[in-house]
Amino acid sequence: MIRVVLVRLGWMLPILLGVSLVAFTLMRALPGDFAQAAAGTTDISPEALQTIRRELGLDLPIWAQYLHWLGQLAVGDLGTSFVTDKPVWGELLPRLAVTFELTFLAGLMAMVLGVGSGLASARLRGRTDWVVRGINGLWLAVPNFVVATLIVLLAGLYFPELGIFNYVPFFEDPIGNLGSMLLPALSLALAVSVTISENTRAAVLEVASQDFVMVARAKGLGAGAVLRDYLVRNALTPVITVTGLQLAQLLGGSILIETIFTIPGMGQYLFDSITSRDYPVIQAIVLVAAVIVLLVNVLVDVAYARADARVSYG
Amino acid sequence: MANVPIMVASNPGGSARRGRLLLFIGLAMLVSMLVVTIFGPQIAPHSAIAFSPDSLAGPSAEHWLGTDSIGRDVLSRLIIGGRTTLLITFVAVSLAVAAGLVLGLTSGYVGGLTDEIIMRALDVIFAFPVFLLAIAVVAALGPTVPNLILTIAIVYTPTMARVVRGPVLSVKRWDHVEAARSVGVGEFQIATRHVLPMVISPILVQTSLTLANTIFTVTALSFLGIGPPPPDPNWGGMLSEARQFMELAPLTVIGPATAIVFATLTFIVLANGLREWLDVGNR
Repeated sequence: MIRVVLVRLGWMLPILLGVSLVAFTLMRALPGDFAQAAAGTTDISPEALQTIRRELGLDLPIWAQYLHWLGQLAVGDLGTSFVTDKPVWGELLPRLAVTFELTFLAGLMAMVLGVGSGLASARLRGRTDWVVRGINGLWLAVPNFVVATLIVLLAGLYFPELGIFNYVPFFEDPIGNLGSMLLPALSLALAVSVTISENTRAAVLEVASQDFVMVARAKGLGAGAVLRDYLVRNALTPVITVTGLQLAQLLGGSILIETIFTIPGMGQYLFDSITSRDYPVIQAIVLVAAVIVLLVNVLVDVAYARADARVSYG
Repeated sequence: MANVPIMVASNPGGSARRGRLLLFIGLAMLVSMLVVTIFGPQIAPHSAIAFSPDSLAGPSAEHWLGTDSIGRDVLSRLIIGGRTTLLITFVAVSLAVAAGLVLGLTSGYVGGLTDEIIMRALDVIFAFPVFLLAIAVVAALGPTVPNLILTIAIVYTPTMARVVRGPVLSVKRWDHVEAARSVGVGEFQIATRHVLPMVISPILVQTSLTLANTIFTVTALSFLGIGPPPPDPNWGGMLSEARQFMELAPLTVIGPATAIVFATLTFIVLANGLREWLDVGNR
């Protein structure tokens, strides 16, 4: 098992290098001058511009700049914000925690909703199946920011006393914090739960048609035992994979949801940085998000290997 | 990331007959959407960008869906806004399909080192959450229509290339390919005439899904304020602008929301119809 993890982590290195190269190139491909963007104004003397260029190391050849930047990354330095002049890492960390909480809650909701409805759909068939699939088909077409906007609209029209925009920090009031995260997490969870639901349904139906399930039933095992020990266990593997792969979607979605519900997470930070053209922050967030997604993919692979005895990474 | 629909591994209970029905419904939705947007300037009852003092009005015979916060006709803006949104979507997805076809076919057919290099390079793009990458690229290049098209084409190319490559790997070993080679047909001809036509069904399904995803990405980027520049309307931007006064004029939100859902639904229905009709992933 340890070997599996190591092999997977080893594979990550070249991809990480590629990712860093893309993130680096992106910020050097900016129209206009990077130093000018750093100064935050076009009204600047050529001498001052030259000073900024030297400070940022922009007078070095491009490969040296990249290596220098990589070296900084290696020691955990994500650069300095143009706007606040503070290290990006320190500003990003608390926001990352907020986004993690939102993503975690949404993932949990999506799992419960998705696995629940998928199981019901596959086991009860008939009308339940029809209703679940119908709802799934429709929800698939409703983007999360539309769901969130409609939730805000409904809350504003019918429950104006709810105050859904009052984000409460976790350490001030944990209960209040959970309350303020509930609706944002739900709007983020719905689209993901559809994917989980459809995959759970497909996986359960596939397992249910196999011989060993018929044997289990033939030897007189109760419906509950068959469901628990045979169906759910075996159907779990594809569900884990899909859920893990949806994390990227949750992270991306949280940008929109945080902006709508004014939650001070990574997404809102990115949004603000785009507005103020704070490029080091944009670069750092894209990089961190890619690393998170890569790590989760490794975790998914490991969970997959644990859940399915047939998978082995020799 | 912002991949709305993900392909379900297998699709028990699908049938060619239901596929045809879904396909028919999807095509009807697509055609009606295209007719309204193509003939938009002729259909729209008012100007999409002209102000009027009659702001945040409710629905009336004059303004079927009311007016927005600076008195522009919501219905006209929806019709005209669809042009921008759909134009970006169709052009971007065509580019992604073209690039994905070339890369996937080359990678799968040539194989070996070429395959390794192309696939590993695409893995790097794959590592980024699609939507985050799109935001970063558009933010860096500037939100113009050509940049949006280019960005979306880039982020969806890897998926397309993978979908093409997979079946090519097995089709290139089929007998008819060997037969063509033995009578002296060139490699390029084999790849395009004898392999490509055999893998067209998954490509069609994936194209349809990518169209649905792209509607999401385009409208979401516009929603965040990095979409096509004003004053020309687009659905994501309209939804975002309307949030400020939405309790006073709910239709300003419900209008663009419905348009976005309708467009996405069209492509999902088409994808499912195609999949069941062509029996992809059901073998």
